[in-house]
Amino acid sequence: MATAVHLDGITKRFPGVVANDDVDLAVERGTVHALLGENGAGKTTLMNVLYGLYEPTSGRVLVDEEVRSFDSPRDAIDAGVGMIHQHFMLVDPMTVTENITLGNEPRKWGGLAVDRAAAREAVVELSDRYGFDVDPDARVEDISVGEQQRVEILKALYRGADVLILDEPTAVLTPQEVEELFGVLEELTAQGKTIIFITHKLGEAMRAADDITVLRDGRNVGSVKADETTREDLAELMVGREVLLDVDRPPAETGDVVASVSNVVVDDDRGVRAVDDVSFDVRAGEVFGIAGVDGNGQSELVEALTGLRRPQHGRIEFLGDDVTADSRRQRIEEGMAYIPEDRQERGLVMDFDLTENALLGSQHSKEFGPNGRIDWPATRTHAEAIIDEYDVRPPDADAISESLSGGNQQKFIVGREFERDPELVVASHPTRGVDVGSIEFIHERLLELRQQGVAVLLVSSKLEEVQGLSDRLGVIYEGEFIDVVDPDETTEEELGLLMAGEHPDEDDADASTDATESGSAEAATGGDRP
Amino acid sequence: MSDATGSAPEEPRRDESDGLLDTHSPRKIVAWATVGGLAVLLAAGALFPDSLAGTLSDVITSRNTLASALRLSVPIAFAALGGIFAEKSGVINIGLEGLLIISAFTAVYVTDVTGGVWLGFGGGIIASTLLAALFAVVTIRFRADQIIAGLAVWLIALGLAPFASQVIYGGPNTSTVPTIGAISVPVLSEIPFFGALFSASPSVYLLFLAVALSWYVFERTSFGRWIRASGENPKALDTAGVNVAHVRYAAVLLSGVLSGMGGAALSLDLGQFTGNGPTMVNGKGFIAIVAYLFGNYNPIGAFLSTMLFAGLDAIQTALQLQGIGVPRQLIRITPFVIVIVILALVGRTRTPEAAGEYYESGEE
Repeated sequence: MATAVHLDGITKRFPGVVANDDVDLAVERGTVHALLGENGAGKTTLMNVLYGLYEPTSGRVLVDEEVRSFDSPRDAIDAGVGMIHQHFMLVDPMTVTENITLGNEPRKWGGLAVDRAAAREAVVELSDRYGFDVDPDARVEDISVGEQQRVEILKALYRGADVLILDEPTAVLTPQEVEELFGVLEELTAQGKTIIFITHKLGEAMRAADDITVLRDGRNVGSVKADETTREDLAELMVGREVLLDVDRPPAETGDVVASVSNVVVDDDRGVRAVDDVSFDVRAGEVFGIAGVDGNGQSELVEALTGLRRPQHGRIEFLGDDVTADSRRQRIEEGMAYIPEDRQERGLVMDFDLTENALLGSQHSKEFGPNGRIDWPATRTHAEAIIDEYDVRPPDADAISESLSGGNQQKFIVGREFERDPELVVASHPTRGVDVGSIEFIHERLLELRQQGVAVLLVSSKLEEVQGLSDRLGVIYEGEFIDVVDPDETTEEELGLLMAGEHPDEDDADASTDATESGSAEAATGGDRP
Repeated sequence: MSDATGSAPEEPRRDESDGLLDTHSPRKIVAWATVGGLAVLLAAGALFPDSLAGTLSDVITSRNTLASALRLSVPIAFAALGGIFAEKSGVINIGLEGLLIISAFTAVYVTDVTGGVWLGFGGGIIASTLLAALFAVVTIRFRADQIIAGLAVWLIALGLAPFASQVIYGGPNTSTVPTIGAISVPVLSEIPFFGALFSASPSVYLLFLAVALSWYVFERTSFGRWIRASGENPKALDTAGVNVAHVRYAAVLLSGVLSGMGGAALSLDLGQFTGNGPTMVNGKGFIAIVAYLFGNYNPIGAFLSTMLFAGLDAIQTALQLQGIGVPRQLIRITPFVIVIVILALVGRTRTPEAAGEYYESGEE
């Protein structure tokens, strides 16, 4: 097989950093090649070199076994290399066809008009050829994220791309859309296109790629065939040491009820019922997990609990007091820490430095804000303590949050929240979009807190995470708890069925941990019923 | 647009929602309310000729009202078209007022010097385009704040034009020059009421042409799409291989050309530039901004809303002359009150996503 892309000894230095260090990469024509690595391993930099956004400090780029030098993406596109960025480059109010042909519109009347019929024809033909399901006349703002991604791919194909680079293509997709994307990738390679896809998710690399190259600290630490390796091997290559994918969790020593949610009903922003009559307790010294496919009311439930959204009905108790009407500030002061699901939107102010971000949530406390004046030296010391304790890199309290990688941003938030000395930690997707090393770190810290007798509410759509960390696990589906189970006694398959809304048995609807086994067995048979 | 086979049923729907008549849109409600209100008024006027309604319908159906509405709308509509080009490309040009002022003065001055009205018209366009070019350079190349730079354009023109007049003519008002004569289309200009459309200054015909051409550019040409993309998501345009800065320069210069036509038409219609206070332009550039926002960045919509404002103004002027027992000062403010009410009813206009933002290519 011919080599479609060959990167030969690529080194890329930025002031003070070596992003890529003598990286070799060979990609066979007609294959899917995954570029796997933790956040900050240099994957995107390497691909930006291939795409002409960066000029390499040294090394050669070969496309179709021919040495190339790209000054701009334009050159790369002309050589048949297209890139689909993590953030789509689409014009929302324009139609699919208009977006795909933007900048290369077919014209008529001596260029005085866009030949809209020809443009539409070209788009329909392209999407038919690769089996894409897109409406050429739909506006981009009206279609789903998965469809938008297909439009991006079509855009590259329309420009004659033979090699497609996809940067973290699954980050924004639902599980179903991920499957569709992988189908699309298969179809593309079947027709001779070459795919390079950047990811930090082991499972996806194993699932979709023919070959996998692992980058660590800017170096190629191994290229392997996907069917000749294991998850454990890849994880080890990525982080450079044995990773415990299974969390070691000592038995819980639970204490009093810390937070109690009873019969809570919450509407979402559109006034649609998101959480419907949910009740649960979280005790000191336990992790109560909430599992479910995203968008089944988890966000609204967490917002109601933390004081960001007022529930329509129901009662929330914290440390024995009714806090249903308390503000967010009151709840923070009472000892409720919160790791929000969207760290860039809610966890940090992106253009603030770490010192300023360390203050968030504590701005009223006597410690940092005596007499309405902010004690910056104390705040800074606090920020430095978090950075030190939670291994935030770079270790610089003056660094702007935006300049940190996702994993380090998250470690900083986790540190800030844990250092509040909370009674309850509400952790919403605490490891989303975070590299393997940081995931492990955050998990350990959560369990440490639990050992110290703190109550933890963990919401996650990652099954292994909630299952591995939780002592009790509530499964939420369409705003209702389908069941509360003992994660150690439940298999992934059973949980999967519950998350898909397969109710085990009406009698066991309120079952707690001891009723799990029979309930789940019912669920397994129930799946066969029409 | 007739050659599209498969797309034919889809396209008109899209064009409509781009424009004024989106179903459920408040614009549509306002449009229908206007039509309905007019019908009721005219019916009442016909039944009771001596009542206030009668006077009002006389004024509204008068050919003179349409003629003066058209005359009033020329500078506003030209400036609004210019504003659409600039803002759709991502550069908010609130200096339209200044562009009108500078072109109004220059047009009279050049006419005075050369003796040619059309030379003066061209001179006005050039002056306005040069000022727009300055605005383009500071905002697109030197990343100045668009709002502040736009205010500067207005203030520069507001100071410069009367000053030049003072130096050249010894006062804020210039001497009078020949005007652009009206052109009457035979037969058509005889039609009652609508005949005013066919017996107007060439600048009115030029405006019709400009509205149609602007619509065509946005809806049918590559350049129009690039302008839209440049204002919505410049990065998408950049990665598609089109130079965003070039598109924005072209759009802002076009706003200078169009505003120049408006300003020149304004002063050459009167044959004089008057530079007292807010000058003869007197806020028309700012009303133009309201007009294109109300018209939802659609050239035809902007023209229609300009006609609405200009029509209200023409009616108000005529009513003052008629004397209907309401103090003049109150009558004078009615168009503005109605505009505010309409804007409140219409609610939010969808502005281009990246309007007002500096864009630098290659930013990661």
